[in-house]
Amino acid sequence: MKLTIERAAILKSLAHVQSVVERRNAIPILSNVLIEADGGDMSLSATDMDIDIVDRTPADVQQEGAVTAPVHTLYDIVRKLPDGSQVELSLEGEGGQVELRSGRSNFSLQSLPKDDFPAIGSEDLSNEFTLPAGELRQLVDRTRFAISTEETRYYLNGIYLHAAEADGVKLLRAVATDGHRLARIEMPLPQGAENIPGVIVPRKAVNELRRLIDESSDDVKISLTENKIRFSFGSVILTSKLIDGTFPDYDRVIPTGNDKTLDVDSKVFRNAVDRVSTISTEKSRAIKLTMSEGSLSLAATSPDAGSASEDLEVGYTADGLEIGFNSRYLLDIANQIEGDSMQFVLADAASPTIIKDVADSAALYVLMPMRV
Amino acid sequence: MSLRLLPPNLVNQIAAGEVVERPAAVVKELVENALDAGAGRIEVAIRDGGRSLISVTDDGHGMSPDDLGLAIQRHATSKLPGDDLTHIGTLGFRGEALPSIGAVSRLTITSRPAGADSAWTISVEGGQVADPQPAAHPSGTRVEVRDLFYATPARLKFLKSERAEQGHVSDVLNRLAMAHPAVAFRLTGDRERALIDLPAETASLEGGDESLRLARLGRIMGREFRENALAINAVREALCLTGHIGVPTFNRGNAQHQYLFVNGRPVRDKLLFGAVRGAYQDFLARDRHPLVALFLDLPPEQVDVNVHPAKTEVRFRDAGLVRGLIVSALKHALAEAGHRASTTVSQGALGAFRSGTGGGYGNYQPPPPMPGHLAEASNAWQAPNAGYQPGFAETARPTAPAGASETGDADAANYPLGAARAQVHETYVVAQTEDGLVIVDQHAAHERLVYERMKAALANGGVATQMLLLPEVVELDEPAAARLAARAPELAELGLMIEPFGASAVIVRETPALLGETAVQSLLRDLADELAEMGEAFSLKEKLEEVCGTMACHGSIRAGRRLNVHEMDALLRQMEATPHSGQCNHGRPTYVELKLKDIERLFGRR
Repeated sequence: MKLTIERAAILKSLAHVQSVVERRNAIPILSNVLIEADGGDMSLSATDMDIDIVDRTPADVQQEGAVTAPVHTLYDIVRKLPDGSQVELSLEGEGGQVELRSGRSNFSLQSLPKDDFPAIGSEDLSNEFTLPAGELRQLVDRTRFAISTEETRYYLNGIYLHAAEADGVKLLRAVATDGHRLARIEMPLPQGAENIPGVIVPRKAVNELRRLIDESSDDVKISLTENKIRFSFGSVILTSKLIDGTFPDYDRVIPTGNDKTLDVDSKVFRNAVDRVSTISTEKSRAIKLTMSEGSLSLAATSPDAGSASEDLEVGYTADGLEIGFNSRYLLDIANQIEGDSMQFVLADAASPTIIKDVADSAALYVLMPMRV
Repeated sequence: MSLRLLPPNLVNQIAAGEVVERPAAVVKELVENALDAGAGRIEVAIRDGGRSLISVTDDGHGMSPDDLGLAIQRHATSKLPGDDLTHIGTLGFRGEALPSIGAVSRLTITSRPAGADSAWTISVEGGQVADPQPAAHPSGTRVEVRDLFYATPARLKFLKSERAEQGHVSDVLNRLAMAHPAVAFRLTGDRERALIDLPAETASLEGGDESLRLARLGRIMGREFRENALAINAVREALCLTGHIGVPTFNRGNAQHQYLFVNGRPVRDKLLFGAVRGAYQDFLARDRHPLVALFLDLPPEQVDVNVHPAKTEVRFRDAGLVRGLIVSALKHALAEAGHRASTTVSQGALGAFRSGTGGGYGNYQPPPPMPGHLAEASNAWQAPNAGYQPGFAETARPTAPAGASETGDADAANYPLGAARAQVHETYVVAQTEDGLVIVDQHAAHERLVYERMKAALANGGVATQMLLLPEVVELDEPAAARLAARAPELAELGLMIEPFGASAVIVRETPALLGETAVQSLLRDLADELAEMGEAFSLKEKLEEVCGTMACHGSIRAGRRLNVHEMDALLRQMEATPHSGQCNHGRPTYVELKLKDIERLFGRR
């Protein structure tokens, strides 16, 4: 195998695949990237056995073939090469070592037999639909923050993607929760997604996906079965296993009977929470919201640091209410609100509260209060 | 096959299976008999780890020839005069030991009652009793057990090595000796080698019973224990708890050195061990264990010792009261000890000192004292801190405000931890006290101060809880679920709200906000196990305190930070005012103290 490629092209390609590979691996071959040269393309494949990623990019192929090389080392080398240089990759003899030449630099990298590299699944997945990159980004961003990191409830360690129906409208929904808060975003069901099973996309795949979306402005093709999901962005294909578990019946925890509404300016609110929470204790981050006709007061106390309070003018007409929240959770949600105004729908100090972006009805957040 | 009554001999062998499981059990039964007989001196001799011979000789009140015949009958005893099993004032009462031993060995009892002019002997071989014979013996009783288990070869095969069996015998005898300091004990092994030789402790003028017991404990658990022991003396209702416990910095890797006695009877009881762990949990890492010797006295009707033939387990009528008493008494004693750290710590430090023998000092020849001498001498320096006042917090508070030592020449005499003189290696504060010097690990000390402050805040302000959007159902077995549900109010105080959910599950509605997103399932399982094992839910508190500990570590002065004299003095004053400041969260000391006379010895001035 022998090929030559522009540094910028291979750097971008490596950047796509390298983050899938774990820094430390029990199976050595998983630290390697599979480099294949065929026709006019170089294709890079990496996997951690749960997530596969393949990136194709045009290259000047002098001799077809395939080889593996340690991906993080390769990435570090290419990063340090001067901008605009040409990179030549070749395999000398059989097995041996991968030679990398660029300008006056020469590297010989230890290679492992290409046949040891796990097969990257390319089978067809039955359900297929497309989403504009922008919408997919919304779907991920609005829910990603609420994914649980606690591993015993593994079925919460991802985004639940499924088809639903509300008021006769067919919807595609993404939901994430960590048991303390929940985020739900929906959009009209795209063509081809009518029969998709409900699937849980694991956090690592979500994060990889999120990085890839940033570079894409086109439609993203999504195909999935009950245990795999694939995102195709032109030259990059990301395939991930799904979490084998049952997502909780989240509809039951979204309250319907909350009767008190609170409208606040989202920026003013976010900044006020941020300021007041400076005082609240490091770990519990409690902040107290006291509502009365037309006003909201935020307060935090800490035995070490003292206390803080701030009053806001808000739209509130119901009976007075005092409720505690984790300020970090409030900030996470406020950061998702792009419109000027956000709305809280509350019942009492011990019941879940709904938070909405007034300008964007697609997203809905549920937050459980704290007892302070 | 038809049913039949077993012959008495077989019945005794079966009973022996429960009572006499190894030579140590024989020793225990016989020595208890001797103690019940009012002996002042008990001599035990064993050969081959107790296999070929166990002999117990006492100077108690002895038995008449008629009694000898009865003693080896089943269910014959002198210890239950009132036919009332609820008032047991003696160690034995079942009347089973001697016939059981007689059933599996060659047993000889020789006894002369006090005041009688002749002694008699009776022997039993594998259950066959011979008639009493006249014999020569001083006043008291001598019981010889030869060829133990010769009648039950299966049991013989299960004996461990001689050394191991001998160890068990020593352990049993030590435990009994702790509870009876006024009795002399002696154990000899093969070739007359003395394994234990404890003279009867005689009361000193000032101490009374307590000093008697401490002296005996010191002989058995080591001199270090005596020097690092805190006295326990607590009474609640009819319960009386006395004994001694080690300071937290004096700890061990296992719980073997925890001795517990109920009405003078050595017991191994999970409840008591759990209570000890509960009292120390804040001061020691999970895998370190304190040394304690606790003596619980309570009216016989409040405790059932008849749970197990060997009587190593007991059952309390009000287990909660007992646990509460132990935990509060120990905590109180530890709090009073304030920042007192183990003397072994400073002793270890002294051992590390070497006189300068390197070149550059001309022909100076260091005086001969060997490290061995040094160690011996250092033993002497560490004489019991009789004049030591526990609880600096209670000693006269200095009138001068902290940090008033403008000149750095604070009246050192007024402060237990002295006046700061210097900081070395940007890590240790050196302070001068009235009669010595103190070296403080600034990070460990400040960490503990911050930690204690956080804990106080936690206790005062209550624990903030995060309610769960998705309440978590934890499946357990039925008794575990019931145990957890029963302690729900206690857990709620720590911020964990649970409710029963069906018979074999609990539902978790709120968790302590401090823990963030926590693994509820495993936490609840741990709690349920601990409730079953020790009757106390440690995990939750430990978890919370672990978080506090980490925060304290990050929020405290690190090693390497330069402190000025005011800061150092302030640190010392805070340590004096804060309970438990003598050790860090893992049982390591925060400071060591060297007495002036120790320093003088190092230089050969004394």
